[in-house]
Amino acid sequence: MMSDDLIPTPFDAADLDHLRRLEALEAYDILDTAPEPEFDDIVLIASTVCCTPVSLVSLVETDRQWFKARIGFEACETPIAQSVCSHALTMNELLIIPDLTADVRTRDNTLVTEAPHIRFYAGAPLVVPDGTVIGTLCVIDIVPRPQGLDDNQRKVLQALSRQVVALMETRRVSQRKDELFQRQKRLAASIRSSANKTVAAQKAGRIGTFEIDIATSMIRGSDEFCRIFDIAPADLIPTSQLEALIVPEDRHIHSNAATRRDARAATEVEYRIQTANRGIRWISRHASYEHDASGKPITMFGMVQDITTSKREAARVQALLDLGDRLRDLDDVESMALAASDLMAKALDASRAGFGIVDPIAETVMMQPEWRAPGVSSLVGLHHFRDYGSYIDELKAGQTVIVTDVVNDPRTADKAQALIDIGIRVLVNLPIFDHGQFNLVVFVHHDRPHDWTSQEIALVRSFGDRMHLAIARLQAEADQDMLNREIGHRLKNTFAMVQAIASQTLRPIVEQEHVRNFERRLHALSSAHDSLLSQDGDGADIGAVLRRTADTLGVLERIDAIGPAISFGPRSTLSVSLLFHELMTNAIKYGALSEPGGRVVVEWQAVAKGDDSVLTLRWTERGGPPVVEPERSGFGSKLIKRGFMGTGGVTQSYSSLGYSVEMTAALSQLQRAN
Amino acid sequence: MTQSPPAAKEIVLVVEDEPLLRMMAADIVERAGFEVVEATDAEEAVHILETRTDIRIVFTDIDMPGSMNGMRLAAAIRDRWPPIDIIITSGHFRAGELHLPGRSVFFAKPYDSVALTATLQQMAAQRH
Repeated sequence: MMSDDLIPTPFDAADLDHLRRLEALEAYDILDTAPEPEFDDIVLIASTVCCTPVSLVSLVETDRQWFKARIGFEACETPIAQSVCSHALTMNELLIIPDLTADVRTRDNTLVTEAPHIRFYAGAPLVVPDGTVIGTLCVIDIVPRPQGLDDNQRKVLQALSRQVVALMETRRVSQRKDELFQRQKRLAASIRSSANKTVAAQKAGRIGTFEIDIATSMIRGSDEFCRIFDIAPADLIPTSQLEALIVPEDRHIHSNAATRRDARAATEVEYRIQTANRGIRWISRHASYEHDASGKPITMFGMVQDITTSKREAARVQALLDLGDRLRDLDDVESMALAASDLMAKALDASRAGFGIVDPIAETVMMQPEWRAPGVSSLVGLHHFRDYGSYIDELKAGQTVIVTDVVNDPRTADKAQALIDIGIRVLVNLPIFDHGQFNLVVFVHHDRPHDWTSQEIALVRSFGDRMHLAIARLQAEADQDMLNREIGHRLKNTFAMVQAIASQTLRPIVEQEHVRNFERRLHALSSAHDSLLSQDGDGADIGAVLRRTADTLGVLERIDAIGPAISFGPRSTLSVSLLFHELMTNAIKYGALSEPGGRVVVEWQAVAKGDDSVLTLRWTERGGPPVVEPERSGFGSKLIKRGFMGTGGVTQSYSSLGYSVEMTAALSQLQRAN
Repeated sequence: MTQSPPAAKEIVLVVEDEPLLRMMAADIVERAGFEVVEATDAEEAVHILETRTDIRIVFTDIDMPGSMNGMRLAAAIRDRWPPIDIIITSGHFRAGELHLPGRSVFFAKPYDSVALTATLQQMAAQRH
């Protein structure tokens, strides 16, 4: 079986011959079948008449030659590199090579250079009715034969080769009869959709060939071509009939009479068609032009392949990847339901998809604005589940409902007409439970029968699982948020208690300024906890910490904060908040912020150093009074001297321009969780 | 506005269930130049308001045991005793999350005693 990546591009006439040969071999369905006496008789006659020890009916595939009948030769197939027959495919006459060791085409062949050391070859091509050569009837000797074959031997070998093809034709017709009979039997049993799937799977991947006469816009397609387009086999078809099958969104991709006339139409395209019985199919088409003597294109020829299976596979994988991304970013159940239905619709070629809000007691669903294929009606509004079947029971139990055909499914068969009337032939319902309550249903509809594969059903179920996980995550996040708030509440009360105790304890102290400083530090710590809690306990951004501290002290407008978003771990957030608090309090008391025009510029950046990054923060005060280093150092200046991590990395400067300080610390240290 | 102090001290009702916090609040209010009346929950506060007419400002916590929390107390005051100014405090809620009644001010716990003092004095000043 060919896969996309084996199809050679660009495409030339030799490739076309090759593809026609493969298609013919496939049509005869003969490769790898058991020996049959009719064919064995032919090789026996050939070897007897030609007086050779070996005779073969050799069929040439892409990478091997396979022998339907053989005499005097052990293997039932050889790799294509060992095939002498492949050289006979390009001619309609006998190929005779008197001495294989003397011929450039064969002297390096391992059947010649090694055992069985063949020396003489004569092969008659097997030409099927449409002119395609599919292999040879050949005779082989292990001694050279300078004289080749005589006239009678030649005639017999050619007559026998025609006999081989005639046998294959007979065989095909009788097989076709069998196949039709089998197919009829299968159709009778088609209620079981599994049979449909088998047929679909067998047909997928096959190649059809075609030729378009550009002047008349008539197309000649092979049988497989007609099967792929799901149309009755016919000798000549107007291209307009096929172009009408292409889905509206893809019409611009396909060629038309005008784009073919000047060879403008792309030679390699993929598009979708709406088939009569097999739903939407993806087609890959490779084509070439044949030009007349004046260079005008006269024929477009090439091949088509049904690539629906691989397209859908890719779409499914993509849909699951996209779903992961979308669900991660969303934080409400309805947006999640909308995203899921949208992605499912695309992956399943649906005609309608969306979600509805369910009332499980009343058994109703309020359908929300949905995604629809062109020409499909909307179902927005209130619907009663029981009007459409009994599957509500399964939805309530949390099970995903997949009705592959509403006409046949026992859950919907009685109400099939009601469903068909609103454009539902295939129905997928995914119940969504939020806080243990069934309150949303995600749906995907097809308005005509759809070949369901087990992978597609798996996709729907996997969507269901992912949705449940995502909703569970939302709930866990909400719980975490509540817990954070509770912790925050207790912490605040504890701070308030500490404040109360301190104010009572420090009551006798005459110098209220000390009490006041203590209270302010407590506030700085408390607001740092606010930063942490509002960020889900993952630490806080340096700019946010700076601004919050400035805001608490009423100097936000006078601080210029310049630097990238860098977050700290929770522990560093607390100590850095206190540090900022001390720097700002000093600026307010003695530095730039003690005068109306003074400002503070705070700049920071992280620079990679080895495996780590180093954070450098520069605090520059301007527009205040000249400053000198204080003689006595209190709690505040001690804290500043110790820097970010309490271990230094601090350069302070006092000058007539004002105070400035530079602090550095390893980012990994600052970002540690504890 | 005159610089002379009011003839009699304005009265502030402090409503707080936690004794230590009530003690500190009372302290701050007294230092700001007011007379303090204390209540340990909203019911007691309502009872006090019903029995005396000289309360000018109510300073209440939100999170208190009993059938009425500080927010409902504030709403009741705004409804039944419109002239009274209200200061609300909480360790649980943040300012943006609350729907405050008219003429009320919110302080997150732990509160800044200097700012609280300023607010009390501002409220008192607007009455004269």
